[in-house]
Amino acid sequence: MRKVYIVGASLLKVDEQWNQSIDSLVTQVVDGLSEVRPWKIDAIYVANALGEILQSQANLGAIVAEDIGLAGVPALRVEAGGASGAAALLAGYQAILSGLADTVLVIGVEKLSDATPEESVFLSSLSERYDLLGFQGVTEAALAAMMYRLYLERYELPQEMVAQFPVLMHEHASKAPHAQYQFKTTLENVLSSPVVSPPLRRLETTAPADGAAAVILCSSDALPTIQHEQVVELAGAASSTDIVSPFDREDPLKLSAAARAFYEALARPGLSREQIKVLEIHDSYSILANLILESIGYSAEGASGLDAKNGMFDYGGKVVINTFGGLKARGHPLGATGVYQAAEIFLQLTGRAGACQVDGAKYGAMISLAGLGSSAYALVMKEG
Amino acid sequence: MHAVFRPPVNWRHRRFRYRLVVWRCLNCGAVHHYATSICRRCRSNRVAEDKLPDRARLITYTVVKNPPVAFEKQAPYIVGLVEFEDGTRLVAGITDCDPEELKPGIELEKVVRKIAEDGESGLIVYGYKFRPVITRSH
Repeated sequence: MRKVYIVGASLLKVDEQWNQSIDSLVTQVVDGLSEVRPWKIDAIYVANALGEILQSQANLGAIVAEDIGLAGVPALRVEAGGASGAAALLAGYQAILSGLADTVLVIGVEKLSDATPEESVFLSSLSERYDLLGFQGVTEAALAAMMYRLYLERYELPQEMVAQFPVLMHEHASKAPHAQYQFKTTLENVLSSPVVSPPLRRLETTAPADGAAAVILCSSDALPTIQHEQVVELAGAASSTDIVSPFDREDPLKLSAAARAFYEALARPGLSREQIKVLEIHDSYSILANLILESIGYSAEGASGLDAKNGMFDYGGKVVINTFGGLKARGHPLGATGVYQAAEIFLQLTGRAGACQVDGAKYGAMISLAGLGSSAYALVMKEG
Repeated sequence: MHAVFRPPVNWRHRRFRYRLVVWRCLNCGAVHHYATSICRRCRSNRVAEDKLPDRARLITYTVVKNPPVAFEKQAPYIVGLVEFEDGTRLVAGITDCDPEELKPGIELEKVVRKIAEDGESGLIVYGYKFRPVITRSH
């Protein structure tokens, strides 16, 4: 059966990059893929969420293909909110499995620092229904805050059981050279940071970030013809959707789309959850870390905070989450985030994760969300 | 950045935003804030106009301290999750009270209020908000 491999990955430091444009970020990140030869690319997928609003630039397929000297290659832009990167990866995976492409370049790029603070709040709420919520000034952070409050009330938990996740993320990012926020923090700092929407605090959310990441996918047929230094199998990929507002779902605290995507991606190579030792999750708000880990079955309902406190998700635990700091601390350059997650798992499974290395990891997985779980993507990777 | 409010958008949503007119599925009861011929929950095509009641109960709430474009002057403001007697849920602005007065389960009534202005000479947007019901003591 035809298989899909990742033969190269590149990522830039996530930061507020005032001097960089979409074009310059793309050329820099693609430069980092020079160990893969020859450069015969059948298709390019560019993940980006807000280019036409913040940089007044649409048609990023052609723009990016020209930027990197590949005008002539089929190229298109993929938008799926915060999951754009994962959606582009899934599109590349499908193109290769279909037999229509042998080599695919997936690039995620986003520049959020061009926005004012009010624009950032507006734009970060665009994955929710505008006609119903956005027009009233209901922000996505406010929706996350209400999920957070319902969660603490239902399971009668102290806020610490949610607010400790950012502490863990900053701990992991402190060893990651490409992370946006490499400082460590404490639970006291998180809980005394400014309130965004109670109970949600500033240090439980993300901040504007610029970044770019890229991976090269190839088919099992093409693999012998491509010079590469490292390889990882992209063993499974899947996506699912859910009712858009969490409060219209049967249970607002259950991320069903994430669970469906995750188990479908695992089922393709016939893997079980227990084999995954590296897991990148979409913690754009602290509460989403709890809800994802509980929805996909790593923790019982209401127990993810206690499990985290007991070290289950840290080095030496059952599965290490967000080994480079996740959305919280590595940073969340919206449309690029999913490609960062994939590049990070590639680094882990090829033993090049430096101080963030998880020893003996043979399998890794990532979960990427749009909005508050209305779209979910999961990818599973296997040592090459 | 793009205009946040556009006149035709406000115009086509006027019946929902001012009067809570909705499109209800006659098969499963799901409610839609837009005209539809397919139920988003059960895919039935038996959908008819209905109206949500003017009273609801508060489930939970929060306060927006970091506002989006066009809401800069209003922050901090309260938004809440409300539930009508038929189980339909809506997230809406909560007004005429302080956060301390709010508790899950309290009764709320609909009011129509100014939502926002788009720029100095721009469009004024109106719509529903909810406020706690004050009960008379005699």
